[in-house]
Amino acid sequence: MTNSLASRISEFLSFYTPFSELSAEDLYAISLSVNVLTIDKNETIFKIGDKLHDRFYVVASGLMHISLISDAEENLIDKPAVGEVFGLRPFFAKNNYATNAKAIQDSIIFAIPVFAFKPFIANNTKILDFLLQNFASSSSDSTENLGLGFTNEGGKTYETQSEIQFFQSLEYNKSPLLVHSEETVQEVAQKMSDSLVGSALIHESNLPIGIVTDVDLRSKIATGRFTITALVKKIMSSPVITVPENTSLAEAQLLMLQNNVTHLCVTSDGTDKTGIVGVISQQDLIFAQASNPGVLIKEIKRAPNAIALHKIRIKFEDFIQNSIQKKIPLSHINTIAGEVNNALIKRAIDLTILELGSAPVRFSWFSIGSQGRKEQLLFTDQNSFLVYEDVAAENNLMVKEYFLRLAKKVIAILEVVGYNATTLPYLASNPDWCKSYTEWVNQFNLWMNFPGEKSNVIATLFFDYELAFGAIEIEEQLNEVVFKNLENAKKFYAYLGAETLKKPAPFTFFKQFNVEEEGAHKNLFDIKNRAILPLVDAARLLTMSHKIKGINNTFLRFKQLAMIEPKYADIYLNAAEAFMFFSKLRTKEGLKNNSTGQYILLEELSKSDREKLRSAFAPMKELEEVIKNKFQLTYFM
Amino acid sequence: MLDWLKNKKYPEFWNTYLQLQEEKSARYVTLSVQTTGLNPQKDVILTIGCVAVVNNELVIRDSFEIILLQYIYNHDNGFSNEFIIESKMPKSPQSEGLQKLVEYIGNATIIGHRVDFDLEIIYVGLEKMDCGKLRNEAFDLEIMFKKWKESSDDKKFTIEEIAQALKLPKNDTDSTIEEAYAMGLCFLKLKKYLRID
Repeated sequence: MTNSLASRISEFLSFYTPFSELSAEDLYAISLSVNVLTIDKNETIFKIGDKLHDRFYVVASGLMHISLISDAEENLIDKPAVGEVFGLRPFFAKNNYATNAKAIQDSIIFAIPVFAFKPFIANNTKILDFLLQNFASSSSDSTENLGLGFTNEGGKTYETQSEIQFFQSLEYNKSPLLVHSEETVQEVAQKMSDSLVGSALIHESNLPIGIVTDVDLRSKIATGRFTITALVKKIMSSPVITVPENTSLAEAQLLMLQNNVTHLCVTSDGTDKTGIVGVISQQDLIFAQASNPGVLIKEIKRAPNAIALHKIRIKFEDFIQNSIQKKIPLSHINTIAGEVNNALIKRAIDLTILELGSAPVRFSWFSIGSQGRKEQLLFTDQNSFLVYEDVAAENNLMVKEYFLRLAKKVIAILEVVGYNATTLPYLASNPDWCKSYTEWVNQFNLWMNFPGEKSNVIATLFFDYELAFGAIEIEEQLNEVVFKNLENAKKFYAYLGAETLKKPAPFTFFKQFNVEEEGAHKNLFDIKNRAILPLVDAARLLTMSHKIKGINNTFLRFKQLAMIEPKYADIYLNAAEAFMFFSKLRTKEGLKNNSTGQYILLEELSKSDREKLRSAFAPMKELEEVIKNKFQLTYFM
Repeated sequence: MLDWLKNKKYPEFWNTYLQLQEEKSARYVTLSVQTTGLNPQKDVILTIGCVAVVNNELVIRDSFEIILLQYIYNHDNGFSNEFIIESKMPKSPQSEGLQKLVEYIGNATIIGHRVDFDLEIIYVGLEKMDCGKLRNEAFDLEIMFKKWKESSDDKKFTIEEIAQALKLPKNDTDSTIEEAYAMGLCFLKLKKYLRID
């Protein structure tokens, strides 16, 4: 073995499947044929439609994203990290690449020629299985990955449309037309016409024995095979396909296709031995699909005005409600809601630009606060800021004027959609938060280097920014400024830490819940300020101190922290759970009262929920200790 | 030129090498040389590591490594040759090793780090074999890096510092071949940033 680079590479590969299956000699031979590539962040190795390369790839360092485009959305389907393979298409298919492979970090990639590896597949079924599975889970054809599923932990991957259908519930006709088997076809047809329905269930003491639909009338009566005076039991389809009450969209679709029917009978336990509850028609499926998030996003993109956007957002509320009832993990719902909200903001800006004419320079619109963290399920406050490219001093006034007008209009549209814009000052229409790039850099520098001085109160929510519209370069540059400042930011951490601990306590001295003592919300519990925000602040502070980029979501932040600091993993994981529990309570409350859900009436909670709420505060106490230990808080306490 | 006028007789491999220089090559070769010191006349080469860059990729198969057996130098300075015996790398006496290096490099562009010194000490060796100077075009990573950084001061950068600034992962480079590999990665990045074709 005279090529020591090849030996080094085979040593590296031997830690990872499928290479660990190979003998040292084989691995060395493969390593000899490796070419090494460096790929910078955001560069691609192959794109959809590119001709197949004659090799596949292993990540030597860095991180890649494999994504595919469906319905004009880019969906992430695989995230190969160090030691993982990607780009296996040349092994299994002849047509062009169906996915994009893009670097998310600066990466080093080993390229292995297909011909060098192929001989080992034929002789080793384990390797073949591994590659096949890997290929299926990161390829585009939905038939290929049905059943294998996507990796979904933490709601990191964007749900595909078909997956949502598995938990999307159906609205159906709950008072179906019931007839007796001894009635004539004519009578039944008359009843169907009178009640404007396309089907009638034939029952015996409320048990389904058959069904007649428009199709039966057409194919059996209108063709003359039976007379209209024939008894309905002669032409009914029997037995009826029955389903239980909480059938999902996808199940209903499958059953109809399997049995080649257009209607399903809903009974209390899903068999034909229990009472009829309703009937699902094909049309119900079409309606259900209309409130599917994927469809909603498409509708948003086409919405002509604010009112149309509002209607779509209301439809989405049903989806959230249903999902919570079906106990879908809140992190998944958050991800979807984040996409929908983002689409709404984008459309609002699009509409405004159509009205005002295009912008004089490039700009970026950032969501901050709960939307920036992708935690906005309810109609809560909107928070945003706007950054535009630097312009010559004499033009600045004019340019700023344009963007202020733009921001005002966008915010007005979003207000019509339902997002409150009155109570908080953090909006892009405020001249303080609509500035040029350099001004923003100065602002962040000021916040981070001189926290807490004079009028320099930091709005911590500005650090949870997420690009909603515009030039991604501006976001990247801002990131750089923030992370450069973090290098030497003891004072800044201390400030954030003190702010975190300053939040009002949840309990009184006697371990009773601390409810509001006066004002409009007297005797209500402020779950936002006393429970949710302290966790949000703590998560932000801790992730920033670890210089973790790109994760804004509180739940994911805690999960990530647990991985980085195994010492405190339990605390972080409990905090993540607690955060989800609080958010769920708040969302339920908000949906029930059509409010922001900030205040909850403790008496209305079930006893078990109240106990859960009480114990969910335990990790907060521990978090406080962690923060006190980590950062020197004396500056600001 | 002068050599040619004198009608000097070159070894066969050197003539082949000179012929190759007439064509330009798209191949680059990183060159890492470990020496006993910084005096080209008195010090000697211990090991050489190279790896080729073609089409913006490091080609593992096209790499080169050798230990030069410096019996005379070791003897004169009273060094033992223990580490040479330990290594699995191919070993050659100096002249044989340099011939292999010349054959390996061919007409590729050389990529080095403070490459002038490396070329100088190789030249001293080649001279003893009745050969001339290496004629290849040579790039220096430190100069490339400074050009990209647009820094004009006298600050020196080691390979490790350049690699770190280019956001390459840290690697132990305790042999010349590993250093050649690290240099290759740096070169791939700088080549792209400086738009060198």
